[in-house]
Amino acid sequence: MYLKFALRRIGYGILMYVAMIFIFSTLFNSVADRTARAQIDEEVAQEAGRLKNLDEEQLKAAVAARRESKLRQYHLEDPLPGRIFWRSVRTLSFDFGNSTIMKASDGDRAVIRIVLEALPRTVVLFTSEVVIVTVLGVVLGLYAARKPNGFFDRANSAMTMITNGLPAWWLAMLAIMALSYGIPVFPSGGLRSNPAPAGPAGLFDYLWHLSLPLLTLVALGTWSMAYLVRNIVLSNLQEDFVMAARARGIRERKVLFGHALRSSMPAIMTIAILGLFGSIAGNIIVEGIFGWPGIGNLYFIAVQQNDVPVLMATLAIETLFNMAGFVILDVVYGLLDPRIKAGGRA
Amino acid sequence: MSAGEFWDDFSKSKTGLVGLGLMLAFVLLGASGELLVPFPGASRHWRDIDYWRDNPLAAPPAWTNAFVARKGAPSSILTRFKAEKETRDDGVGIETFAFDYPFAYDRPPRDLIVRVPGSGRVPLVIWLERPDGLSAELYRDQVDLSGGGENRVSVTRDCARAAIEFVRSRDEAIADTMNADLIKPVAVLFAKAGSGNLDAPTPLKGVYEIKIRALIVSSDFSVGRPSIIVSGQVSGIMGTDAAKRDVFTGIVLGIRWALVIGILSSSVTVVAGVLLGIVAAYFGGVLDWLLTRLYELIYFLPVLPFLIVISAIFKPSIWVLIAIICAFFWTGSFKTVYGMTLQIREESFVEASRALGSGPWRIVLRHIAPMLLPYSFASMALSVPAIIVYEASVSLIGLGDATIVSWGQILESALTQGAVINGLWWWVIPPGLMIALMGMSFAFLGTALDKILHPKLKTR
Repeated sequence: MYLKFALRRIGYGILMYVAMIFIFSTLFNSVADRTARAQIDEEVAQEAGRLKNLDEEQLKAAVAARRESKLRQYHLEDPLPGRIFWRSVRTLSFDFGNSTIMKASDGDRAVIRIVLEALPRTVVLFTSEVVIVTVLGVVLGLYAARKPNGFFDRANSAMTMITNGLPAWWLAMLAIMALSYGIPVFPSGGLRSNPAPAGPAGLFDYLWHLSLPLLTLVALGTWSMAYLVRNIVLSNLQEDFVMAARARGIRERKVLFGHALRSSMPAIMTIAILGLFGSIAGNIIVEGIFGWPGIGNLYFIAVQQNDVPVLMATLAIETLFNMAGFVILDVVYGLLDPRIKAGGRA
Repeated sequence: MSAGEFWDDFSKSKTGLVGLGLMLAFVLLGASGELLVPFPGASRHWRDIDYWRDNPLAAPPAWTNAFVARKGAPSSILTRFKAEKETRDDGVGIETFAFDYPFAYDRPPRDLIVRVPGSGRVPLVIWLERPDGLSAELYRDQVDLSGGGENRVSVTRDCARAAIEFVRSRDEAIADTMNADLIKPVAVLFAKAGSGNLDAPTPLKGVYEIKIRALIVSSDFSVGRPSIIVSGQVSGIMGTDAAKRDVFTGIVLGIRWALVIGILSSSVTVVAGVLLGIVAAYFGGVLDWLLTRLYELIYFLPVLPFLIVISAIFKPSIWVLIAIICAFFWTGSFKTVYGMTLQIREESFVEASRALGSGPWRIVLRHIAPMLLPYSFASMALSVPAIIVYEASVSLIGLGDATIVSWGQILESALTQGAVINGLWWWVIPPGLMIALMGMSFAFLGTALDKILHPKLKTR
């Protein structure tokens, strides 16, 4: 029963992912076609340069034949639906091909290398942000829930309202202006100093570059997280089992941590896990402003330089992680809560 | 719930009232912005370099004088003058205009710009009479006032030589070392005589008189009311940016666009989300399946990356951008409405109506939609902040509509023209603060409405 539910959920997620890849490749079809043709022409021209002992006629014929076979190999002569289909299939099999302009730091043009180079940097910044924000949010949220409508609770609600409509990139601009140029405490951007010091000093240098973006993101994200935690914990504090615990004379601290927080954990973990999976995408603008060469930055450069293969790969990977987060949560919840897999409609 | 009851509930919510107050202020400012700002034509001329050329470049706000030791002269416009008119025996009219400029600052203005409207070729003489009794001739030339010429004399640009001559009249040796391309004419002319006019002029405080004399040589020629623009060291409520634009004007004009973007897209998305949610849940079947799949597809799409790539491809105008935002955001209310409709559908009054022979559309529009209306208002208000931030984000990376004056556009030029690096905080802080404030007012309103109107409490 559960296995069937899990398989169905996973299968459905995969189906959704496939549908989205098809949408992407339809959207970028004409640009991708042009890119692929240009790449083939370049390759064939290079090969032709190596062919020596042929006269002009033979060379022309050889080039044309080679070009023809390449075009057929990449299904570029197919009608439109065919081209979209084959491009989607290649994307789905993680065969992202070569980029048009962008390069990995060692000059490699394989898209997968470029993306895998940027991915860890985003993980370092944004995934640690999610972790820190979750921990801080739980602490502050519990503190606020202890005395609802108390000073701290009100202050936290106010901060949530303020940060709610505040763009992170604006805070980033202010942070750089104040702490990199005004009082130069932190570097204004980048991954490490140039030249980067070696050994443990290098690690320190890296952390030093990481701190301003991380501080900015945490300063903005913590409040709404705390507010969410507070709401979840407060609603659990009104449950009967909490009243029962209090009636039994259990100390308030223990009620808060042992009962209310424990029963709030699934909801909090949901938010955290979705945040973790979502954090893979980074933040296009914040990364751009801090010059942090992660996935978001990569994506934006790809948009600017019209590098469709990199664009497709980045979108595909972001979507994949997003979807994986939801599916994994659903499957885990199905395991924990029998009502979910029994309940038919969403 | 009657309007009176609603107001009774609403007026108890402090945040709701604050939100409403802010909202009203925004709407008023947005509607009357053109009348309030010092540069009324700015919405049409925001990117017109000529329109802004009389302003100082990247000047801090005027109130910063309160926090610095050396006060800078603020920007202003002198329009009051004493006029004298006489006619010589040969029929030539002589008109003289005398402007008083009280100068009590430590740093003289960056420029003084004399504007003389009129018609025909008019010989102009402009000179300055200083508080110490000295005077300096600034300009003497024939100007074509009607022929589309500039009819504008900038002291910084046109009077460097005059400033040197002024110094020469008292100290030849210093004047000989001065370079017309390097000196600041205004600083020299507003300095104490003989106090190092070359390197660090000490300003001379007092009331200066600027006189303009125009000779009217023909009855076809005339001179209108001249004015003098003081291009200050500090300027306006929020200073000026690196394109000499008045930041305050931009901020006020941005209100209108933020309201348009926020209200228009939130109403469209919520109406669409509510209607589609009801339709999907009430009718079920293929429609339900299709809409739910569409909802899931959009829900999983990474919004900002997708918005950016679409903007990069289509270079949308603001209206198209709003349409794209709507296509993404209707999902926000869809699922909630879907769930609510499934419940309401089974209520007895719906069944009664069905038994009385009402068609499905009548039930949807007369019974189900009105019950969801309050929810949709709250959800509308709550979705605005995110939408405004999205527009600003797309604008910030240069993919927005560059023909409007929105806060995102202002921040984009601040970012690309080095406001962050050069510390021009008055250019960066106000637009972001306004985005936050606008978001806050909607969030306050939304939460207050949500508490009062939540349909879960109102179904019975």
